[in-house]
Amino acid sequence: MNRARIGLLLLLAALLLLPLGLSDFWLFIAIEVLAFALYAISFNLLMGYGGMLSFGHAAFFGVGAYTGALLAKKAGVTSIWAFVLVMPGAMAVAALIAVVIGFFSVRRSGIYFAMLTFAFQMLLYTVALKAIGLTGGDDGMTGLRPPGLLAAPSNYYYFALAWVLPSVYALYRLVNSPFGLTLRALRNNPLRVQYVGVNVRSHQLITFVVAGAFAGLAGALFAFSSGNVFPGWLNWTASATPIVMAVLGGVQSFLGPALGAAVYVVLEVTISGSTEYWPLFMGLIIMVLVLVMPRGLVGLLERGRR
Amino acid sequence: MSELFDLFSQHLAWMTNPVVLARQTLAGISNGMLLFLISAGLTLIFGVLRVLNFAHGALFMIGAFIAWTIGTWAGGSSIGFFAALAVAALVLAILGSIIEITLLRRIYRAPHEFQLLLTFALVFIAGDVVKLIWGREDQSTPMPELLSGSTEAMGLVFPTYRLFLIAVGLLVAAGLWWLLHRTRWGILIRAATNDRDMLGALGTDTRRLFTTVFALGVALAGLGGALAAPIVSVGPGLHVQVIIDAFVVVVIGGMGSVLGALVASLLVGIVNAWGVLALPGWSVVLTFACMAVVLIVRPWGLFGSQE
Repeated sequence: MNRARIGLLLLLAALLLLPLGLSDFWLFIAIEVLAFALYAISFNLLMGYGGMLSFGHAAFFGVGAYTGALLAKKAGVTSIWAFVLVMPGAMAVAALIAVVIGFFSVRRSGIYFAMLTFAFQMLLYTVALKAIGLTGGDDGMTGLRPPGLLAAPSNYYYFALAWVLPSVYALYRLVNSPFGLTLRALRNNPLRVQYVGVNVRSHQLITFVVAGAFAGLAGALFAFSSGNVFPGWLNWTASATPIVMAVLGGVQSFLGPALGAAVYVVLEVTISGSTEYWPLFMGLIIMVLVLVMPRGLVGLLERGRR
Repeated sequence: MSELFDLFSQHLAWMTNPVVLARQTLAGISNGMLLFLISAGLTLIFGVLRVLNFAHGALFMIGAFIAWTIGTWAGGSSIGFFAALAVAALVLAILGSIIEITLLRRIYRAPHEFQLLLTFALVFIAGDVVKLIWGREDQSTPMPELLSGSTEAMGLVFPTYRLFLIAVGLLVAAGLWWLLHRTRWGILIRAATNDRDMLGALGTDTRRLFTTVFALGVALAGLGGALAAPIVSVGPGLHVQVIIDAFVVVVIGGMGSVLGALVASLLVGIVNAWGVLALPGWSVVLTFACMAVVLIVRPWGLFGSQE
């Protein structure tokens, strides 16, 4: 067994044993970290592997969260078995929205792609804000609770873990499959890949939809631990979150974004607990990140090891 | 069914009323001119620096707050208003130069996500700094005496300030055309938009060009903010809708094209103004529909060049 494997097994053991040593407050934060880790990894599928800089990934996180909330509140999901189906439901709706947004967005690349995804996210934000009958408008949807036994934080933690771990593994398999290798080739030279006979746009669209679906799952998982969904989750500041997490962790490694998500969530909890000017600190952190440590935390660790 | 029909006829009745139609179109054109001031700067900066400036809306907002401060202090006098326009443009030009020299200059060769993140960080910082300096409340700026009231034209009565905005927009458009086509600086800007590496290889000091273009673009945003101050509520949330509309405009008009920015600004302005009456609360959907159509028909924008 090599060191990476031992590290992974230790991480897995830690994730399984975590609820034993945490207070409810930190358990909720652990659930948040799980959801955002999946969110950041799904985003990095687009940016790190596909070279598609989406500035509207929060759209799918938000759509997943709203779908989960609507299924629970309007469709009246009360049993655990029905609740299990809420998650694939959220993924399906997020994927469907991703098909539409992706259809338009993959027509452009680079900065244009970023602007398009951003614009569509803002469109969905408007919908969340204005379709008051459905979404509750500015007040959002509150009082969400997972049913039955899952309402206990430690049980919901395991429920979330049971969704996040297989999802992360599936994404890992995907990026190392022939599909994933083609995707990386696409990032480096789309023209050449096209000459080989790959349909670039449909390849990108599929990637976009897969990333959107997993972001939707992350959103739905997080909705039931925070207990609320707000239109702000779809707002434009939210679109920076997965980028910051991915860059903070390190986009060149598969699990880097997950590390970034963990550090980001804990930083946000600690800083916004003591000042209302969290955005200011966030801006300064991003600035340091971009100018001083562009390879992220994983880059720092690698440099430290050498 | 008849209820639905009533709803529609209620919302669409204005279409048959020439007075309402004319007033709303004029409001749309004047809003479009404000949008042009912002998106012209955005598109110029993108054309030369290849950086999408997310902070453009925030800088517009700072311009509006400067105009509010001076306007309130001068109590709505016309001299105070024109001074506010000049000060806002000047302060923003200086701020823009500082941002370009200390921050942007370091990341021109970095991947897109770093450029986006850096200008995004500026949005966060500017948003909180504005709250620290000017507070969290929405403020209203006094209308300058000279431009308040209404003017009669073509048998219709229009708010004078709206006509003034259109005049300023046309003036700036003409000025930019003159600048880009009749001055050495403008020729260098157009050359840099085409191929900045070649321009540098031919011996032009591109560093100075980048700084001045960024300062110019940001000054236009500041001027736009100051001009908007009397007709919007000036608050820390002002920048959001502005930057989104500006993005839609540059996508429709084509990145890097000032003419495209002008045409698309007017289009978005008018569509928004009509949409407010036709689909109250949902007019933004119409501008996105315009954008979607343009993307299908001409993905590089109306006046953009194909990559």
